[in-house]
Amino acid sequence: MSSWYPIFLRDMLLFKRRLLRLGYLFSAMVVPVIYLVTFGLGLGRGFYVGGVDYLGFLIPGLVAMSSMNNSYTWVATSLNLNRLYFKTFQVFIQAPVSPFDIMLGNVLAGMVKGIFASSLIVLVGLLIRSDFGIGFTFFVVLILNSFMFSCLGVITGMITKSHEDTATYSNFFIMPMAFFSGTFFPIEKIPMFLKPLIYLMPLTYTNLAIRGDLRELKTMLNTGVIFLFSLIFFVIGLKLIANYKE
Amino acid sequence: MGIIEIIDLKKTYERVTAVDGLTLTVERGEIFGLLGPNGAGKTTTIKILSCLTVPDSGICRIEGLDVVKERYAIKRIIGVVPQENNLDRELTCYENLKIYAMLHRVEDYERKILNSLKTVELLDKKGTLVSKLSGGMQRRLLIARAMLPSPKILFLDEPSVGLDAHVRRQLWELIRGIAWEGRTVILTTHYIEEAEALSNRVAIMNKGRLIALDTPFRLKRELGAYVVEEQMGNGKVRYHMFHSKGEAHEFARGCACQVTIRESNLEDVFIRLTGERIES
Repeated sequence: MSSWYPIFLRDMLLFKRRLLRLGYLFSAMVVPVIYLVTFGLGLGRGFYVGGVDYLGFLIPGLVAMSSMNNSYTWVATSLNLNRLYFKTFQVFIQAPVSPFDIMLGNVLAGMVKGIFASSLIVLVGLLIRSDFGIGFTFFVVLILNSFMFSCLGVITGMITKSHEDTATYSNFFIMPMAFFSGTFFPIEKIPMFLKPLIYLMPLTYTNLAIRGDLRELKTMLNTGVIFLFSLIFFVIGLKLIANYKE
Repeated sequence: MGIIEIIDLKKTYERVTAVDGLTLTVERGEIFGLLGPNGAGKTTTIKILSCLTVPDSGICRIEGLDVVKERYAIKRIIGVVPQENNLDRELTCYENLKIYAMLHRVEDYERKILNSLKTVELLDKKGTLVSKLSGGMQRRLLIARAMLPSPKILFLDEPSVGLDAHVRRQLWELIRGIAWEGRTVILTTHYIEEAEALSNRVAIMNKGRLIALDTPFRLKRELGAYVVEEQMGNGKVRYHMFHSKGEAHEFARGCACQVTIRESNLEDVFIRLTGERIES
């Protein structure tokens, strides 16, 4: 049995317990569903983007956004709280477990939560638009996106000095990313001077890839960039855990 | 060679010196008390020994293993009961122990968990969420958790802080039982009574420095086994130490103020050495 497993299992036991609480499912779904109703069924009705109607364009973006939000927020928040307040992170540090296993256990747990929350959006999407396409590319990109933002969550969870800091990071990086990286409108519509900034945002590549096909070079390149971001975030998170001291 | 060797250990946090040139040896199988007021450097010493932080300088070895270079090997032979309760409150007692056992690769952990819960008298609470347990039960569960991998050395950082007298005594029995099995126990406390009741030897620390190290009996005897507390008019108390009860009585007879004669304790030793009290 690998040492990442108990770390992953701990989070899954906590996740299972929280799932049984009435508000959890609602809170995981409420924001994307509001966007879906407002932009997809309200403002966007009758709009077409790149040959598909707006709802068909929006749903994959919302799924990507939801996986980002849930993977990132869960890992960043729980790591921050476990490290600074509950001190449960110290149990891992004092156990004969490698930093790699601590990183992997946390990231995999974050991925499960991100994929779970985005699956709920997929279900809602299928209810609204049964022909909404989910294929191999969609799943690969969704899994990679959850991995990437779980890794980013570890970085935030390790560097923040208080719980409030986590919200600050979220407001500065995650929130703008959700809106400007192609979730709600194609990035071609963004003014030229903002484009370099948009291409620095990891979610941009997810939004481009999740709507594409992995057999196309463009989608392969976008997926490759997600992979590269994931690798960089994973290595940084790993270093932070390895160098942890009080 | 002692099971723990500390030589000239130093640790500073942002210009505050937490441990300042600590040198001591802990013998195998003893209950070793680190006694001192808050800020004495006890918890920092435990954090260094339990691989939670690294020293700025000095040598620190556990079973001959260096705490900086051989952390992984050290983590396999130590158990830690931290000052702050770090159990998962939303998990059950059993789940908490299971995760810990898996992290430490404890074989046959299901049986060992049940045995541990039985030892700390929490078997009937195995399916109860930790958040529903009393403070004393949570402390016992922390000890059961730390003991699961059968560590050679157990670190207990202020184990009875916040517990009432009855529960504290139950905890002491548990700690004595652990030492009786031949394990080495390192205990930090700012409770005089606890250090005296449990420790084979006590290191008294103040402001990061070691100021005395011996058995509680010898430490007290050296300064005097009896204390005359002289109540001064301004509300202050003056302490006088004597080697025999007769000397103490003789002195008390000559005092104009109200006096109390009692046996000395480690607090008196601390006051004599630093001029301050340990317990606030």
